[in-house]
Amino acid sequence: MEIDKIIHEPARLRIMMILAGIEQADFNFLLTTLNLTRGNLSRHVEKLESTGYLKVKKSFNGKIPNTRYQLTQKGSKALAQYWENIDTVRRSGQS
Amino acid sequence: MILGCVGVAVLVALLVAIFICQFILIRKFGGKNRGLIDQKIDQWIYGREGMTSMPLPKTTKKMKWLDLVVGAVFFVCMLGSMNLSMVGFIAFKYLQPLSVLYVVPFLVFQYFLQRPRIGPLVLICPILYTIHAILIVAGVPIFFTGGLFMLSILLPFFGYMFLAYVIGHLYSRYALKKLKGITHLEGEAANGD
Repeated sequence: MEIDKIIHEPARLRIMMILAGIEQADFNFLLTTLNLTRGNLSRHVEKLESTGYLKVKKSFNGKIPNTRYQLTQKGSKALAQYWENIDTVRRSGQS
Repeated sequence: MILGCVGVAVLVALLVAIFICQFILIRKFGGKNRGLIDQKIDQWIYGREGMTSMPLPKTTKKMKWLDLVVGAVFFVCMLGSMNLSMVGFIAFKYLQPLSVLYVVPFLVFQYFLQRPRIGPLVLICPILYTIHAILIVAGVPIFFTGGLFMLSILLPFFGYMFLAYVIGHLYSRYALKKLKGITHLEGEAANGD
């Protein structure tokens, strides 16, 4: 059993947790909720996207570009597996 | 007779107003203003905070038809009970308590139909509506008579809906604040990879 290092990073774990509870969120929402810098958030979501955990949808709100993120099925499964693994580690630590 | 005609005219005007309201809220605007009017208002007030969306309710064709039938039954019951009250078959006092029989199931059905887009806080409305009816039966004079008798149903119906909306909105702001309390990253965690 191995802890998924992509999800284990605090910022990425929070991004995954937020997106797990909703259908989709845009870049600004993640930015204000996580208190990250734009560049940092971009880097984290790119990493999650390249792993296939996030789906990115780009559109325009009038003339303003809007980027929305959605957890993929692979991402949902990976997050569930991550929590299971963390629980296993916790249980083994207690016994 | 005059009272009856005025009542029917008010009912028709009300139905037209509801239809226009639904049309504005549900229909999408085209071009640059594409988006639902409530979403545009949200965007205007909370745009800086970013936007999220909840999954759409899973509706089948059968559910859509059931929704139409339930909506039609609701309006027939509402118009019917108001007409019966107008001609004197239902006392003005018991118009609202009687309406609980069709208003509450309608609202509860709407909640189950619209989940997860709307939360259980919307159920505040049918609960308050029922309490309102119990109070009337118990003798509290919170109903209208004469030409304004329709307000006995309409005022608590829309009033409690609005109240449920306000409470839901305040709760969502509180939930967001709590979420930010958990997810806000500080120092190294916020800047490191």
